[in-house]
Amino acid sequence: MGRFLGSRLLFYIAAFMVAVTFNFVLPRMMPGDPFEIMFAAAQGKIQPEQMAVLKEQFGFVAGPWHVQYWDYIKGIFSGDLGPSLTYYPTPVTEIISGALPWTVFLAGTSTLICLFIGILLGIFSAYNRGGKFDSIVAPALAFIGAFPQMVSAMLILFGLGVILNWFPVGYGYNPDVDAGWTLEFFMSVAYHAALPLLTMIICGIGGWLFLMRNSMINTLGEDYITMGKAKGLSTRRVMINYAARNAALPVVTAVAMALSFVVAGALIIELIYNYPGLGNEMLGAVASRDYPLLQGLLLIIVVCVLTANFIADLAYFWLDPRLRK
Amino acid sequence: MTELANQQAETLLDIRGLSVEYLVGDARLRAVDKVSFTVNKGETVGLAGESGCGKSTLAFALAKLHKPPALIAEGEVLYKGRDVLSFDDEELRRFRWKETSVVFQSAMNCLNPVISVNAQICDVLSAHHPEMNRGELQDRARELLKVVGIHPDRLDQYPHQFSGGMRQRAVLAISLALKPQLIIMDEPTTALDVVVEREIMDQLSELKKQFGFSILLISHDLSLMGEITDRIAVMYAGKLVEIAPSEEVLFNPQHPYTKGLVNSFPHLLGEKKELTGISGNPLNLYSPPAGCYFEERCPERIERCKSTDPALITLNPQHKAKCHLLG
Repeated sequence: MGRFLGSRLLFYIAAFMVAVTFNFVLPRMMPGDPFEIMFAAAQGKIQPEQMAVLKEQFGFVAGPWHVQYWDYIKGIFSGDLGPSLTYYPTPVTEIISGALPWTVFLAGTSTLICLFIGILLGIFSAYNRGGKFDSIVAPALAFIGAFPQMVSAMLILFGLGVILNWFPVGYGYNPDVDAGWTLEFFMSVAYHAALPLLTMIICGIGGWLFLMRNSMINTLGEDYITMGKAKGLSTRRVMINYAARNAALPVVTAVAMALSFVVAGALIIELIYNYPGLGNEMLGAVASRDYPLLQGLLLIIVVCVLTANFIADLAYFWLDPRLRK
Repeated sequence: MTELANQQAETLLDIRGLSVEYLVGDARLRAVDKVSFTVNKGETVGLAGESGCGKSTLAFALAKLHKPPALIAEGEVLYKGRDVLSFDDEELRRFRWKETSVVFQSAMNCLNPVISVNAQICDVLSAHHPEMNRGELQDRARELLKVVGIHPDRLDQYPHQFSGGMRQRAVLAISLALKPQLIIMDEPTTALDVVVEREIMDQLSELKKQFGFSILLISHDLSLMGEITDRIAVMYAGKLVEIAPSEEVLFNPQHPYTKGLVNSFPHLLGEKKELTGISGNPLNLYSPPAGCYFEERCPERIERCKSTDPALITLNPQHKAKCHLLG
């Protein structure tokens, strides 16, 4: 067990270093930088000497690439990602730590709900395959899920938010309410999250349903299922301990992928509902070429992808005894 | 055999005119066609026939384990006088394993790979004896492994840690868990090499003496059957073509198909003969002929075989065969 986890951990550390290096190299390979844009925008009113001072102020290190790289790595491990350009002098870490909880809350909650409902419906659908639910409701959910998220998000926003005016159309909470551990604040957060959550759940459920359903149907053909039935076990026990337990294995991989996109994937939803999460920040950073912020956000995504995969490995380890030696 | 003869033959399982059909598109293929025979208490009955003759389909139907597109078209399966096919879900659940357990064809695949052997023994015990506590379950599970010759310390291992033979033994242990009166064995040793097969068969005979259950052994291997069965039933294209005591089937077969089957296997003792086998291919069930199903491949066919299907003829109270030549 220790060896398996150790080797996985080593792999993730290596993958992290590779990703971080790419994150360092890519912006430097792109033509143009924020200062050239500033310089051009000022139309000759800035002297090259002033430019140099600005660069230093913004934390851009001059020097050969290995010095820059070393500084960058040191920054990552000491939690210093430099100041943001757009929100100067706010540090990137502060912006990210302000936005991260919103995204994790929104995407995490919706993914968990989607997973839970989708998997249960998938089991149900597979068990009663060919029935009404399986041939009408399940394809309908898949159909809705196949819409671009943007379209469903706008339809829901327009219908429930603008026309019916049941839910707020933007932001994470009512600014008039003081942020804090109060019931009023929680209610406000829940109220504002309703539409984005609804959109993400409606869009996501079909995928999970079919993934689980198809995996279940494969598993139901296995001999150990027939033997489970022949043993006179209750249907529930055969379905859960024999079928779902085995059918869940391929789903775990998909869950890991989904969890890693939790951070990046909510971008469109956050934009449409003007939700104060990472996706919104990322869009802003791209638009204004805020490289330090962009790099910081990419770093967070890398960490999330790797962490989710590591959790999936652990889950596999726990679910499938064939991996344990 | 002599023991059996003394003991009054009491019918345990009485299969009456059982037919199983597969729905394929609009067609209904009769995989099992009006098969009737009985299994007595303590008796071992063999069910032989080539691949696709419907013997496994029949075995599954006996515990109502057949899956769509298979369906039972007609017939009764009387277990101690009660029709298994008319049981509701709960009656069926209680009947399964407690009265009749099944050892499947592929022991490799019929153990759940993600839960331990212990859990797979205990779940069947607690499903039928909810009153048993943890300790009792554990004791019984250890005892069962010991009975089939697996060291009880391996109880908490998973199926992938067992060899093929051990898995088959583990399945055997599970099949004995509730001391059923009948064990249906569907080619229990097909996936194993002959040495392991021999060990398991010997063990089975041993266990049978100890517990006194009946066995319905399904196999294509007549020589294996000859060693442990009391009677052998032979199926061809879904129909029962001959049923008789084992020695009769092996040394005095009456139906041409049975003769072909017997001649496909070498005898260990006695003169060396050229093995003949049966020419031709199994019947296409999409378009069954009007006459005898075996007519096309039969070396002894006569005019009548083409037009009329022979009835099952009783040669003596123990021996029946379905052939015009005997009529």
